[in-house]
Amino acid sequence: MSNEVWVVADLKIDGSVRQVTFEALSEARKKIAGKLGGELCGVLIGSGVSGHAAELGKYGAEKVYVVDNELLKDFNTEGYTIALSELIKKHSPAVVIAGNTVFGQDYFPAVAARVGAGVTMDAIEIDLTNDKKLKIKRFSHSSKAIPTQVFLDHHPMMTTVRPNSFKAVEDPKTPEVVDGAVTINSGDIKSKVIEIKTKGSDRPELTEAERVVSGGRGLGSEENFKYIYQLADMLGAAAGATRAAVDAGYCPYDMQVGQTGKAVSPNLYIAIAISGSVQHFAGMGSSKVIVAINKDPEAPIFQKCDYGIVGDLFDVLPPFTEKVRALVSQS
Amino acid sequence: MKILVIVSQTQDTEAKIKVSAAGNSIDTEGMKWIMNPYDEFAVEEAIQTKEKHGGEVVVVSMGPARVVETIRQALAMGADSALHILDEGSPDMDSFAMGKIIAGEIRKLGGFDIVFTGMKIIDEESGQVGVQIAEELGIPHVSLVSKVIEINPSANKAVCQKEIDGGHMVVEVPLPCLITCPDAMNEPRYASLPGIMKAKKKPLTEVKVSDTNLDGLARVKTVEIKVPQIERKLRIIKGQDGPMVKGAEVEKSAEELIKLLREEAKVI
Repeated sequence: MSNEVWVVADLKIDGSVRQVTFEALSEARKKIAGKLGGELCGVLIGSGVSGHAAELGKYGAEKVYVVDNELLKDFNTEGYTIALSELIKKHSPAVVIAGNTVFGQDYFPAVAARVGAGVTMDAIEIDLTNDKKLKIKRFSHSSKAIPTQVFLDHHPMMTTVRPNSFKAVEDPKTPEVVDGAVTINSGDIKSKVIEIKTKGSDRPELTEAERVVSGGRGLGSEENFKYIYQLADMLGAAAGATRAAVDAGYCPYDMQVGQTGKAVSPNLYIAIAISGSVQHFAGMGSSKVIVAINKDPEAPIFQKCDYGIVGDLFDVLPPFTEKVRALVSQS
Repeated sequence: MKILVIVSQTQDTEAKIKVSAAGNSIDTEGMKWIMNPYDEFAVEEAIQTKEKHGGEVVVVSMGPARVVETIRQALAMGADSALHILDEGSPDMDSFAMGKIIAGEIRKLGGFDIVFTGMKIIDEESGQVGVQIAEELGIPHVSLVSKVIEINPSANKAVCQKEIDGGHMVVEVPLPCLITCPDAMNEPRYASLPGIMKAKKKPLTEVKVSDTNLDGLARVKTVEIKVPQIERKLRIIKGQDGPMVKGAEVEKSAEELIKLLREEAKVI
C-alpha cells in the first residue's frame, strides 16, 4: 500500500471540473495527506481530460493520474467503475475521495465493492486518527444526528464528501502527470447512455451555490415563482423549492431541496413561504445563515432560522429585491 | 418476470432522536417504525412491472423480527412472497457487510430479471447498499431513476431516465439489472383491506444472519453519534399591531433585514 491520498475529479456535463473537487483537494491536503505523510494526488477520468491536471495542481495535487479513454467520454457507471477500480488495484492508494454528486453516488459504492474497500458517503468532515485511519463525520437520521465513523483495517479507505462543506484554498503545484491507462472493452459497458439533456441556465447549481433562494407552496403558482427567480438572480443564487411546491407543479423536481431532494449547504439560505418541515430541514439545515419570510408567525422555521420577517411575501419581497438590486448595482 | 424488491424498515422521519447511553447508536426505545419511504416507491414500481409483464414480486428485507411488519406491508401492497434475513443486532454490522449478506441471499434465490430498491434509507442516509448489491451480483445498475420509461423482457432491456445536475440522462440497460428509486417516480398505493388479509397467508421464508460468517466483513465503525446543535440567531422582525409587518413597516423591515445580512451576518 502507498500513502497516497487521491481525490477523483468530478466533471460536469460540459467537461469542466466541479468545485467540490477543489474543496476536497484542499481539505485532504490540510487534514489527511500531511498526517499520513503521503502525496496528494488528483485523478482524472474521461476522454480528453488531461488538460485539467493543471487546475488540480492549483489546489495542491502533486501528482495527477489520467485515465483517458474514448469510452469514458460521457459519464457511464461501468466505465467509471472499471477505470477507478483498476487504477486503485494497480497503485493501491491509502485514501480515495470523491464528491457526493449524482455521479459520485452512482459509481463510488460500486468501486468500493469491487476492490473490497469500505466507503462512507456524504462526509462533512474528514480527518485521520492517530493510527492513520480515516475518520469522517456525516449527517444521518434526516440531519438530526451526526455520526463519527472510523475505518477498520481495510484499504483503501473511501469516502464521498458533501459539496460546499470545505473551503477551496489554492496551493499551487506543478503536478507530475501519470498515464493511468486501463483496458476497457466496449463489451464491458453494458448500460448505455442514449440521451443527455441539459437545461441551459445561468443560475448556479443548487448543490454548489453559495447562496440559495427557495420558495414553498405559499408562492401559490408557477407564475409567482418569478419572485424567487428575480431575487436569486439578483444575489447570484441558485433557486430551490420545497417538495410541496414541486408537487403542486410550480417548479421542476430538480429544484427540490430536502430529504427527498437535494442537500444544500450554502452560506445563505433564504426560505420564502416555507414552513420549515423536518423533511425540508434535512436538506438545508446545515446552511450557515438561514433567513425566513413567512406570514405565519407560528411557522416552525421561525424557531430555527437566523433572521426572519413575519409578513406576506407579496408585500415584503418586491422592496427587499429592489434593495438588493440597489446594493448590487452599487458594488 | 421474477422481480425482486429490497425493503428496509426505518424510524419515522418525525421521530425525536436520542443518542444511546453508549454514545454510538440511536436509542430506539419506543420508536415508531415505518417502511423506508424510498422503498415504497420501489415496491410500487415492482408491482407495476408485474402488472404489465406478469410474473412474481419477491420482497427481500434484512433486520430484526420487527421488520416482518414492513414485509407484510409490501405483501399487502401486492408482492407475492418474501425472504426475511433475520439480524438480531450483529455488533459488527456496517453497510458493506449488509450489502454482502443481502447480495449473497439474492444469489441463492437466483433467476431474477430485475431488482428495485430505494435510493437510500432515511435513517442511515448512506445510499450505498443498493449499488453495492448490484456490484456484488455482477449486474448493472441505474441509480436515482426518476422514471422507468420501458421494461422490455423480450428484448431483455430496461430504459430509465435519471436526473443529473442541470438536466437528465436516459440510460438503456440489459436485464437483469438493479434500479434505485428516489421519490416522485410513482404514487405508491395503499394496501387494501383484502390485500392485508391475503398478505398474512403469503409465503415468508426466514434465514438467519447468525448462520453467515461475519468475521472481518465490516469496514467502518461508528464510534460516536452527536445530535447537532446549531445555535440560530432567531432575530425575527414582526409587525407592531399583529404579527405581520404592514404598510410602512414593510419597507423598514426589508431595509433592516438587508442591514443585518450585510453588517452582522456579512453574507451579502
